[in-house]
Amino acid sequence: MNAWSNEREIIINPGISPVFVRMSMEDYDHLFKIVLIGNAGVGKTCLVRRFTQGLFPPGQGATIGVDFMIKTVEINGEKVKLQIWDTAGQERFRSITQSYYRSANALILTYDITCEDSFRCLPEWLREIEQYANSKVVTVLVGNKIDLTERREVLRERAEEFAEAQSMLYLETSAKESDNVEKLFLDLACKLIREAKQNSLVNSVSSPMPGEGKTISYLNCCS
Amino acid sequence: MSTSYTQPPSHDEDSQFKMAADNLPTEFDVVILGTGLAESVIAAACSRVGQRVLHIDRRNYYAGNWASFTFNGLLAWIEDYKQEQPRDADSDGSWREKLEEGEEPLLLGALGTAISNLQVFRYASEEPEEEEVATPVATPTPEGPSTSVEEPLAQSQSAATEETDTGSEAPPTTDTQSEATPTEESESQSQDTPLESQTHEDPEQQVQREEPQEDQTTSNEGDSAPSEPTPPVETKKRKITYSKILKEGRRFNIDLVSKLLYSRGSLVDLLIKSNVSRYAEFKNVSRILTYRNGKVEQVPCSRADVFGSKQLTVVEKRMLMKFLTFCLDYEQHPEEYLDFTERSFWEFLQTKKLTENLQHFILHSIAMVKPGARTGDGLRATQHFLRSLGRYGNTPFLFPLYGMGEIPQCFCRMCAVFGGIYCLRHSVQCLVLDKESGRCKAVIDTCGQRISCSHFVVEEGYIREEQRRNVTYRQISRAVLITDRSLLPSESEQQVSLVTVPPQDGGPTVLVVELCSSSMTCMPGTHLVHLTCPSSGTAQEDLAPLVSRLFTEAPSAEEEEDKEEEGEVDSEKPTLLWAMYFNMRDSSAVDRSSYSLPSNVYPCPGPDPALGTDHAITLAEAVFQQLLPDEEFCPPAPNPEDIVYDGEGRQGEGAGFGEPVQPEREPEGESEGKEEQKAESEQDTEGAQMSVAVESPPPAPPAEE
Repeated sequence: MNAWSNEREIIINPGISPVFVRMSMEDYDHLFKIVLIGNAGVGKTCLVRRFTQGLFPPGQGATIGVDFMIKTVEINGEKVKLQIWDTAGQERFRSITQSYYRSANALILTYDITCEDSFRCLPEWLREIEQYANSKVVTVLVGNKIDLTERREVLRERAEEFAEAQSMLYLETSAKESDNVEKLFLDLACKLIREAKQNSLVNSVSSPMPGEGKTISYLNCCS
Repeated sequence: MSTSYTQPPSHDEDSQFKMAADNLPTEFDVVILGTGLAESVIAAACSRVGQRVLHIDRRNYYAGNWASFTFNGLLAWIEDYKQEQPRDADSDGSWREKLEEGEEPLLLGALGTAISNLQVFRYASEEPEEEEVATPVATPTPEGPSTSVEEPLAQSQSAATEETDTGSEAPPTTDTQSEATPTEESESQSQDTPLESQTHEDPEQQVQREEPQEDQTTSNEGDSAPSEPTPPVETKKRKITYSKILKEGRRFNIDLVSKLLYSRGSLVDLLIKSNVSRYAEFKNVSRILTYRNGKVEQVPCSRADVFGSKQLTVVEKRMLMKFLTFCLDYEQHPEEYLDFTERSFWEFLQTKKLTENLQHFILHSIAMVKPGARTGDGLRATQHFLRSLGRYGNTPFLFPLYGMGEIPQCFCRMCAVFGGIYCLRHSVQCLVLDKESGRCKAVIDTCGQRISCSHFVVEEGYIREEQRRNVTYRQISRAVLITDRSLLPSESEQQVSLVTVPPQDGGPTVLVVELCSSSMTCMPGTHLVHLTCPSSGTAQEDLAPLVSRLFTEAPSAEEEEDKEEEGEVDSEKPTLLWAMYFNMRDSSAVDRSSYSLPSNVYPCPGPDPALGTDHAITLAEAVFQQLLPDEEFCPPAPNPEDIVYDGEGRQGEGAGFGEPVQPEREPEGESEGKEEQKAESEQDTEGAQMSVAVESPPPAPPAEE
C-alpha cells in the first residue's frame, strides 16, 4: 500500500472554522453531509436510491457494503456535492450510533404516511437529534409513500403542524413515483448553501467559536 | 425483571412495543455481546468478510467501558452505577424450556462490576449566572460521601508538600451538603437529587453488592427534564457555574477511558486499512508536557520543538538530538546498548551524556516507561514514539473528535454497513452448550428467544464468577476533571496536551490528557482533564494528591474575599469546577486460559491502563484469527465514490424552501481523491502547525553538528 496515499485518509480537524477555504483542484463548490433517520421501513433507502440512482427497488433490503451515496448537483451555477448517509439498519432496534449524527449538515427525518406508528416515534427521534447532532443542523421532516393515499393514516395537516412546532421543514414524497424526491434534496441543498454563506459572513466578522457550528473540516467549504 | 433491565429514558412505550414486535433473526454465525473496542473491531472484521453478525449490548449506549457521555449522560451513568443491584443474570428462567436433549446451559452474569469507588465533587458555584457577582455560597461543594471523604484526601497532604495553603484538598464534610439546594427550579429535581445521595464505597467492596436501593425516579430524568430558563449569555463573565455546565452538558463528551492513538500504532493502521477512518475525525495532540519540580513544562520532542526550546541549552539540544537519532534505528547500533540489555533503561540513559533534564524527558515523556524498565523496552518505546512523530503533527498522538468513545461506534457502523444486526438494551441469559462437544451452539436472549451461532464473543464483564475463579484483576485509577483553563496557558487556548507525571513518592506514573473545547469534548471556556494510572489504592487515594497539586478548588466566598484583600489570587493553577474519581477493573492481563469457557466462546477484556490502544486491537485481531483463520482481517471497504451511479438526466423540480433554483445534473466519476486533496490542502492553509499530511522525517541531528 502506498504510504503517501494513506497519509490522507485520516481526517485531521484543524480546529478552526474553515472559512472561505476554496480549493483550486476540487470539482465542487460545496460538500454537505445529509443523514437520514426514521423508523425502519419508512422508505429511507428508497429515497436515497431514487435520488442518487433514479431507481426504485421494491422490497429491497439494506444494501450491503454501501456506506453513503454521493450525488453532485448544480444549483445556480454552483456545484454541490451531497453525501447522503443511510442508517445501515441500525434503526431497526433503535441502536443508531451517536457518531452517525456527528458532523451532519442536514437531517432528513422520515416517516411513513400510511403508518401512524412511524409518526408517533418522531419525538423520540428528535430527542436523539437534540442530543447528538450539531445544534445548527437543518432538519427536514418527510412523509413518504404518498403514492399509497388510500392507506394514509397521518393527515398532512397534522404533520405540518408538528413540523412547524419543531421548526422543521416539511415535505411529502413518494420514492416510488419519484414525487418530490428531487425537490427534497435540491431544496435542502439550497438551504444549506444559504446557511453556509451566512455562516461564513458571520464568521468573517466575529472570530469563529472553536468547535462551534459546521466547522468540520472537510465537509464545509464556502465560496 | 423488567425493572432491572435498564430502559433508556428516551424510549417511550411505543418503541418498546415495537421492539418486542420485531424479533431478532434466529440464526447467526457470530453473536457478540458487548460493544467495547475489541468487540466492535471483531464485529466489523467478521461482518466485513461475510459472516452474519449479531451485536448486542445490555446497556442503552455503545462502547461499554469505552463509552463517552455528555455531562448529563454521565450524571445518569453515575446514577445507574449507584442503583445497580446484585443480580445473577438477565435471566428469568425462560431459557429452561428452550434447551433440548443433549444440551446444557451456561448462564451469563450480571454486568456492571467493572466500576468501583466512584466519587463526585462539585466545585463550581451554584448560583445562576445573573447573580454571579453576588458572593457564592458555600463552595466548594462536595458531592461526596456522607462519611469520611476527607480520610483519603488527608493522606494526600503528606505528598503535597508545597503550598498547600488552603487545606482545601480535604473537601468540607457533610455539613455543607445541605447547600445542594436547587438554584434553578427546573434542574433541582433532575440533577441535584441524585448527586446529593452519593454514597461512599469501600475499595474492596463491589459496588452493586451493597448499594442501598434508591428512589427509582431520579435516574433517568436528565433527558426528560424540561428545558430550563436560559439566562442571557454574557461573555464578559468568564466564570463557569454548575448550572452553566448542566445547560451546556451536551457539549461534553466525557470518556470513561482516556487514551490516545499513536500515529503509527495499530489502531491508526487499522482505521486506514479498513476505511473505518471515514467515520471519524481527529485532532493532533498539540503538546507534550511534564510535571517536574512542582512545575508544568513542555517537553521538546519534535525537531522543531528541540530547536525552539527555551529551556534547553545549545549543548542539551545537541545531546538530545543525537540520542533521539540513535534511538530511531537503535537496532543498527547494537554496540551502543548491548551491554545494558540486562540493566535498566535509566542506567543506560545515565551513560549517554545526557543532563538530568534530558534524562527526565526521555524516560518519562518520550519512552514513558517505568524507571525500572529494561533498556530494550525503553529503546523500543522511544523508537515507537519517534516513528509516530511527524506523521500527522508535532507529537506522535491523535485524539478522536468527540472522544475515544466514537471509535468503537465507528467499527459498529462498519459492521452494520456489511449487514451486522445491532440491538442495544438487549442481552443473553445463557449459552446453550452441546454436552458432547462442550461447544456453544446457541444463545438464549433476554426475550427468551433461542439464537443459533457458531461463535460467541463476550465482554469479559458478563462472565459469571464460576467461570472466572482463577482470574485475578488489577484496577485502573481514573479521575475526570472539568477545569477553567489549561495547565500551561499559551497563545492558543485550543491545545490538546498529554502531561506525563513521573512517579511521586513511590506512586505510579500518572498520564494526564488535557482536552480543549475544539476537541468537541467540553464546552468553550473549560478544559476536560483525564488522569489515569494503574491503581495502588482507590482512584481518589491514587490521584487526589496530584490533583490538588496541579489545580485549585473554586474558592469559597470568604476565601475569595480574603484573597482579594490580601491581593493574593492563585492565578497559577487552573480551578477545578467538577471532579469525578473511579476505579475501573483492568482485565487486560488475564489470560484466556484462566476462564473456564467453551472453546468457541471468546472473552474480551476491558480497557488497560496504557496510553495507547494496542492491547485491544491486538486482542481483536487474535480473536478474529481464531474465529476465521483463513480470512483477511478488515480489508478495505469499497469507497462510496467508486459506486456512484450516473443515472439518466431528469429535470429539476423547481422551487426550494422559498427560493427557486435551477438544478442541473452533473456528470460524475472523476471525483476520487478530491476529498482527500481538499482535506490536505485545507491543512496547508492552516500553516505549518497543521500540515499534518506530510510524512516528515523524524528529528534529525541539528545542522550545526
